[in-house]
Amino acid sequence: MTQRRFSVGDRVTVRDATSLFHTRTQRYARGRTGVVTEYRPEWVIPEDEAWGRDEDGRHEPFYVVRFRQTDLWPDYTGFDVDTLETECSERWLEPEMVGTK
Amino acid sequence: MTDTSTDHLLTGILSPQTRRQDRSLPDLDRTPDPWESSMQATCECLSWRGALDNLERRHAEDRLGETVYVDYPVQARSALVVTHLLMEQGILDEQELRSKMAQVRARLEDV
Amino acid sequence: MTYTEHEHIEGPTEVSEFEVLERAVRELAIEHGLFSAEDHRRFTEWAEARTPAKGSQLVAKAWLDPAFKQQLLSNGTEASKAVGVDWLDPTGKGTPSDYTYFYVLENTPKVHNVIVCTLCSCYPRPVLGMSPDWYRTPNYRRRLVRRPREVLAEFGLHLPSDVEVRVHDSNQKSRFMVMPMRPEGTEGWSEEQLASIVTRDTMIGVALPNPEWTATNPPNAKTGARR
Repeated sequence: MTQRRFSVGDRVTVRDATSLFHTRTQRYARGRTGVVTEYRPEWVIPEDEAWGRDEDGRHEPFYVVRFRQTDLWPDYTGFDVDTLETECSERWLEPEMVGTK
Repeated sequence: MTDTSTDHLLTGILSPQTRRQDRSLPDLDRTPDPWESSMQATCECLSWRGALDNLERRHAEDRLGETVYVDYPVQARSALVVTHLLMEQGILDEQELRSKMAQVRARLEDV
Repeated sequence: MTYTEHEHIEGPTEVSEFEVLERAVRELAIEHGLFSAEDHRRFTEWAEARTPAKGSQLVAKAWLDPAFKQQLLSNGTEASKAVGVDWLDPTGKGTPSDYTYFYVLENTPKVHNVIVCTLCSCYPRPVLGMSPDWYRTPNYRRRLVRRPREVLAEFGLHLPSDVEVRVHDSNQKSRFMVMPMRPEGTEGWSEEQLASIVTRDTMIGVALPNPEWTATNPPNAKTGARR
């Protein structure tokens, strides 16, 4: 069991890395800031799983991150209360970076 | 990235009647044909056994479904794209696909 | 070679080209050892046995039994066993596209949940069966994350501005299902009656249950009354 880097309630920014490898971090979330709302188990990261390394791939804690829709889309047409949740592996998250949305 | 010879092959190998008549009308009340669930199972087996990852296939379905196979019904995308990818990877070749399709057709129409 | 044969065949006995293609590719894949005929049979059998009925049953049970509701919300994978759904079927570790972490999202007067998978089309098949065609279209997958209220309105669902629309983009190993709120007018209903109005779309989050609408009745004058 590795030590989790983030706790529920932490504000986190999704890394804006361009991945050459198989990843499941959506482009629209990169560079955006949200709040950790839940923990997920430690899973094999998709970057390794895609190569068939189900058993020996790197395991990492995952988190549910909630974003305000208005932070994701500058031209959001809904209301301010609206949100979006998705899951991120720890390597994709950084403590909130000032100056990001 | 698409292989032009593969594109040509699949669009040429299927009946022109299989193309959509009117792209603006989605078939909301359509009941899936039995072969569709069988195709889904094929996709799952390919992913399970490591031959073709589901996510990779989905991406290809989006990409090719909106371009090369835009004239075909949405529900046929998996069949078209799986065939396309297996040929692109060199696992299947044109000749064996043609002869297998002829064989299957003959078998189905024999009854 | 271009297509020549079979243009004369018409009517319901026509063999579809896609059916021929599906069969040909499957047989070739088996001949090349990519998977076995038995693998395929097992998946087909398993997938065809799935319907939204299990999901409806889970929701109806939770509406009636607060303890079960708590269990369903805290451990969906485990709670599914109460209606005979084992997320590890049929391969012992779930199917490659149906992972085994199942989370139920509770709607409240202030939060409305809706599910999507923008990267592919992940769907909680063990409890909801095969996904609807529209769920797999780029239209739904691209637009639901970006313009959820517009997409919901296209389904006829309009939510007030103080209700948070919470989109769940299923991008990793979790699968989600929405637990709608029990509507008024269902007081004293049995589990079976309740389950009948928890339709597939209400568990995806593009509709709300209505005591007058069930999945099996066609939308006609009798069942389509506006409330």
